[in-house]
Amino acid sequence: MVNFGLLYMEIATAALGLMLLAWGLLVPKRERQGIAYLTAAGLLALLALAWCTRGAAGTVLPGYTIDLYSIYFKSLFLTAAFLATICSFDYVAKMGFNQGEYYALLVFATLGMMVLATSGELITLYLGLELMAITFYILVAYRLDDPKSAEAGIKYLLLGALSSAILLYGFSLIYGTCGSTVLREIGKRISSGQADFALLLGLIFVIAGFSFKVTAVPFHMWAPDVYEGAPTPITAFLSVGSKAAAFAALIRILFLGFDNQAFLWLPLVTVLSVLSMVLGNLVAIPQKNVKRLLAYSSVAQGGYLLLGIVSASLLGIGAILYYAMIYVFANMGAFMAATAFYNNDRSDEIKDYAGLARRAPLVAAVMLFSVASLAGIPPLAGFPGKLYLFSSVVARDYSYLWLALLGLLMSAVSVYYYLQIVKAMYTGNPAPQKGALQVSRGMEVAMLLVLGILFFLGIYPTPLTNYAFKAGETLFMP
Amino acid sequence: MLQQYAIIGIFLLGAVGTAVGSIVVNWLVRPKPEPKGDKRATYECGLETIGPTWVQFKARYFLYALVFLLFDVETIFLYPWAVGFQELGFLAFVEMMIFIGILALGLWYAWKEEGLKWL
Repeated sequence: MVNFGLLYMEIATAALGLMLLAWGLLVPKRERQGIAYLTAAGLLALLALAWCTRGAAGTVLPGYTIDLYSIYFKSLFLTAAFLATICSFDYVAKMGFNQGEYYALLVFATLGMMVLATSGELITLYLGLELMAITFYILVAYRLDDPKSAEAGIKYLLLGALSSAILLYGFSLIYGTCGSTVLREIGKRISSGQADFALLLGLIFVIAGFSFKVTAVPFHMWAPDVYEGAPTPITAFLSVGSKAAAFAALIRILFLGFDNQAFLWLPLVTVLSVLSMVLGNLVAIPQKNVKRLLAYSSVAQGGYLLLGIVSASLLGIGAILYYAMIYVFANMGAFMAATAFYNNDRSDEIKDYAGLARRAPLVAAVMLFSVASLAGIPPLAGFPGKLYLFSSVVARDYSYLWLALLGLLMSAVSVYYYLQIVKAMYTGNPAPQKGALQVSRGMEVAMLLVLGILFFLGIYPTPLTNYAFKAGETLFMP
Repeated sequence: MLQQYAIIGIFLLGAVGTAVGSIVVNWLVRPKPEPKGDKRATYECGLETIGPTWVQFKARYFLYALVFLLFDVETIFLYPWAVGFQELGFLAFVEMMIFIGILALGLWYAWKEEGLKWL
C-alpha cells in the first residue's frame, strides 16, 4: 500500500500551484497583483510546514523515500522560490500580463525540484527533472518584448532536450545492465557483479546529463546566454534552485547506486570540478554585463560544490548541503540587487552601476555583501562553506591537497571580478539626472533578511551546519 | 554473441543500402539533358505564384491539438479505470476525480485565455 500521507509536501505544493492558476483565472486582469502576495504567503507556509515536520521519515514506494536529506533540499527550494517571488513583485507587474501563470509556473518548478531531490528511482527522478526543466523553458522566454529572452528560451529548450536525451540514454543503459531502476537495488546488484562497459557508458552519460544542469564545464555553454536573456528573478531561481536540485539527484545516484564504482566516476567529477573552477572564474573577468558575470560565477560555484562529491565522504556531502543553502542567500541577494537596479534603470551593464551606493545604499550593500559571500570572504556565510568544502577534499587524502589549493587560488581570482562591481558602485559617479532608486517595501525587507542571514551564518554557522550534516547522514543510512 | 551483432550489422548495411541505392537509381534514370524553360517552372499548368512564397501561416491549430491531447490522455486513463472499477474501489475513484479535476482546470484555462477562439 502506498503511503500517500508522506507525500504531504509534494501534494501541498501542487495544490498551491493549481490554486494560483485557478485564482489567476477568477480575478480580473487589473487586480492580479494580489497573486504575487498569495504566492509568497503560500511558499512561506510550506516552508514552515517543512520545518515543523522535519522529523518525518518513511518509505512511500521502494524508490521514493522521505528523509531529512530530501526535507533539507525541499526547504532550500522553497526558500529560493520565496525569495524569487519577492524579487518578482515589481518585475512581473511591469511586464503587465499573465501574472497568474508566472507564479503558478514558479511553484510547479519548485515541485519538480522537490521530486527530483526526493526520488531514489530513475524514472521518477526523470519525471521531476522534466517538470522542472519544462516550466523553466517557459519562464526563461517570459519577456515577450525582448528577442534576447526568446533566444534564451530556444537555446535552453534545445540544449535542455539534448541533455535530457543523453541522461535518458544513460538511464536505459544502467537499467539494461542492472535490471532495476531503484537506486539502492542498483547499488546491490553492482556490488555482486563486476563493472562492464555498458554500465561505464551509462554512468558517463548520466554524469554528462547532470553536468548540463549544474553548469559544469564543458557543459556550461548555455548558461551565460540563458542567464542573460531570462527575466532576472528567474535567472536567480534557475541558478540556485535548478543547480541544487541537480546536485541532490546526482549525489543520490552516485552514492546510493554507484558507491562501489567510485574509482570510475571520481576522475570524471574531479576533471569537471577543476575545469569549472578554472574556466568559470577566468572567463568571468572580462564580462561587462552583471548577469553574464554572475552566470560565469555560478559555473565556478558549481565547480566548488563538485569538490564535495570528490571528497566522497560525509564531510563532503554535508559541506555541499551547507554551501548550497548559503549559495541560495548569497546569489539571491546579488540578483535581487540586480533586479532592483533593472526595474529602475532598465540596464544590466556594470558601467551603469556607477555611483549606486549614493543612489541606493541598501541595494549597493546587499550587492557588496552577497558577492563578498560568494567570494568566501569572512565574516560572511560563504567563508565557512568554502572552508568545509576545501577541508573535506584534504581530509579525504593529502594527495588531493592540490585541488583544495586550486580552489583557494581561484577564489582569490574571483575576488577581483566581484570587486569590479563593487568598485563601480562605490567609487563611480552617478549620471547627474539619476535620482534615488525606487525599491518596493517587500524587496527591502527581503534584502535586509538576506543580509542578516549572511552575517549571522558567517559568524555563527553551527545551527545550519548541524542541520546540513544531519541531513547528509541520512543519505548514508541503509 | 558475435552472430547477433552480425545480424544487426547486416540490418544496418541493408538500411544504408536502401537509402543510397534509391538515390543512385534516381540519378541513373533521370532525364538527360536537364529540362529547361517551362519544364522547370513550379507548375506546368495553372497560375504563377504572386509575391514571395515565404509567408506566415496561421498556426493556431496547434492550440486545438494541445487541448485535444488533454482529452486524449484523459481517455487513455479513463478506460482501464472503467474496466477495473469494481475491484479498484473508492480510493481509485478519488484519484480519478483529482486527475479529471486537474485536466478540467487545464481546459478552463485554455478557454478563459481564448485559446479556443478562432481569430
